[in-house]
Amino acid sequence: MNFAFGREEEAFRHEVRAFLADYRDLDGFFRQGRVWPRVKAMFQAMGERGWLSLAWPREHGGSDASAVMEFLLWDEVAYARAARNPLAAGIVARTLIRHGSAEQHARWLPPIRSGHLHFSLAYSEPEAGSDLASLRTRASRQGERYVVNGRKIWQSYAQDMDCLWLLCRTGSSESRGRGLSLLIVDIDAPGVQLTPHPTLDGEQLNEVLLEDVEVPVENRVGPEDGAWALMSEALADERHIQFPPGRVRRDLEEMNAWVREQGLADDPHVVRRMADLAVRVLEVEMHGLRVLDAMQKGLPAVVEAAANKVAHSVVCQEIARAVVDLAGPEALVEGVRPSLLWRQSLWETIGGGTSEVMRGVVARKGLGLGGRA
Amino acid sequence: MDFELDTDQQAILDAVGVLLAQYAGPGRAIDLAAGDAYDFDLDAALADAGFTQVAATRGTGPLEAALVTEAVAAAGGMVSFGAAALVATGLGAGDLPGPIAISEARPPGPVRFASHARTLLVLDRKADEARVVALEPGTCAAVRSSFGYPMGRVPDALARSGDALGGGSAARLACWWRLALAAEATGTMAACLDVTTRYLSQRRQFGQAIGSFQAVQHRLAELAIQIEASKWLAREAAFQGAPAEGVATAASYALAAAAQVFAETHQLSGAIGFTREHDLHVFSMRLQTLRIEHGGVGAHRRALSAERWGRA
Repeated sequence: MNFAFGREEEAFRHEVRAFLADYRDLDGFFRQGRVWPRVKAMFQAMGERGWLSLAWPREHGGSDASAVMEFLLWDEVAYARAARNPLAAGIVARTLIRHGSAEQHARWLPPIRSGHLHFSLAYSEPEAGSDLASLRTRASRQGERYVVNGRKIWQSYAQDMDCLWLLCRTGSSESRGRGLSLLIVDIDAPGVQLTPHPTLDGEQLNEVLLEDVEVPVENRVGPEDGAWALMSEALADERHIQFPPGRVRRDLEEMNAWVREQGLADDPHVVRRMADLAVRVLEVEMHGLRVLDAMQKGLPAVVEAAANKVAHSVVCQEIARAVVDLAGPEALVEGVRPSLLWRQSLWETIGGGTSEVMRGVVARKGLGLGGRA
Repeated sequence: MDFELDTDQQAILDAVGVLLAQYAGPGRAIDLAAGDAYDFDLDAALADAGFTQVAATRGTGPLEAALVTEAVAAAGGMVSFGAAALVATGLGAGDLPGPIAISEARPPGPVRFASHARTLLVLDRKADEARVVALEPGTCAAVRSSFGYPMGRVPDALARSGDALGGGSAARLACWWRLALAAEATGTMAACLDVTTRYLSQRRQFGQAIGSFQAVQHRLAELAIQIEASKWLAREAAFQGAPAEGVATAASYALAAAAQVFAETHQLSGAIGFTREHDLHVFSMRLQTLRIEHGGVGAHRRALSAERWGRA
């Protein structure tokens, strides 16, 4: 057992930190919708350094870097509050690499790698959230095109993205997970309409209406009706960078600074509460590293990742709530950090798989208890 | 002993319900909150019908005022009703012009309703007195907040001014304020649970209503138990005339429960509860404002301990 990173890894971490110094005020992690042009510019600068394709195979323009390097990159980006890791370079690109045709590689991978092409995942529907296999958006094959009709909801940042990574039904309505396909849909295509749903953190989630949207068959990734396995694989590739502990490490530091500013640092109740939170943050670090370790060894890390997501998201909320409780009315004022964190952290236990879904994974797959797969 | 409402109490709540149906509700609260506005129409309707003075009216008392306070909160009324009907009346401070805001003397900071208030009640623990400060609207600058109420910043000098209400007034203000908070929190929590329960009865996943899953039911049931207890602790404290130990118990319990009600109703509502168009946030965000007012849960617990066992 060895809990330290190697010299080369630490050197890379420092290189990332130096790069991020220019983006210290970006705050794209929480406010991407408001600062997207700068976030996109940062992604392009990262693309120039080859950082968006760090762990891609060399033949696709990647560096074949280890999971550790990727983890360090996105952990630092999260700590700097600069951005969330882009879905295009992760889930989308990895699925394309594994299951896409040579034409698809040539068409999509270069602009993703350079940070010029961005995707929004379009999975959830009004009637299919945690129960994704029941989704209804239908793609009907008509010659060399699909005609897509349906409604997607809760897409973060879709208003700024270029394409939808659309999960839709190509099989019969009873086919559940066996009748789903993945399509790449241009967000400006005729028939695609976005409606914003303003959220409590001052950002927005989107609803995407698809009415007779024509999608060329060459935009389907992987086999028809075969998307379920692809999605699971892609998710597995991302487990170590989805919820980096840098986020909560930074939350705690900001909160500690806030508490001191409010003159509360000597209050024994405050000291105890901050100590409790410091322990929880270390717990989250351990969960994050456990996922990374499993990934490095080529293990599926399903249970580790579910545990990490629960711990991480719950601690986000605990920190936000503790500080609002401790700091009193000043923490309710619009624009101060505790107010934003309080509202934003509400989303963490819901988005990206609810805590209920994650706890179900730990129970069924970790503890071997029965129940719905 | 009888936990049923008597016919007069039922009649009062029925009449209040008619007013609230006209002048309250989550949609109206969302509109008012967008402009940091105060609901002067609801305030006037409640006063004109005699509900604001119900605690000081012959035949009714603080219990009826607490019942109405609970109902106003459950309807999302954007009025400082508890401060008027329970706190000002309980203090015997006479007929004070509303809206009424309540502030600590040190530090005053952002205070609920202060930007609209014409009367400020100040709790000065150090001087051991409560004071009444007459305000021109706008004296306290509006403070933007997403926590469900219009807020205003009470200047330090203002919080040190005013007419003292005499010996024992600090303790009395502290008690009535706690009672108002407990009653408001109870009504607000009940609304959070109601919005959530209704949504989970309709929302289907995995072929059934989410509310029919046992794991979900257990969590909703736990909230229901805590809200029920909050209700009766607050009502009993009102019935007894806001005794120090009773109100500290009611406020400690209700505002601790509020943290769980907030977290659980949001979690169980999923993504829709995170949007501004769903009703939940109208009530849930208010819970946090109530939780930290008047020193917060920690202060209520210390007060309870001091009343029960004496100061260490």
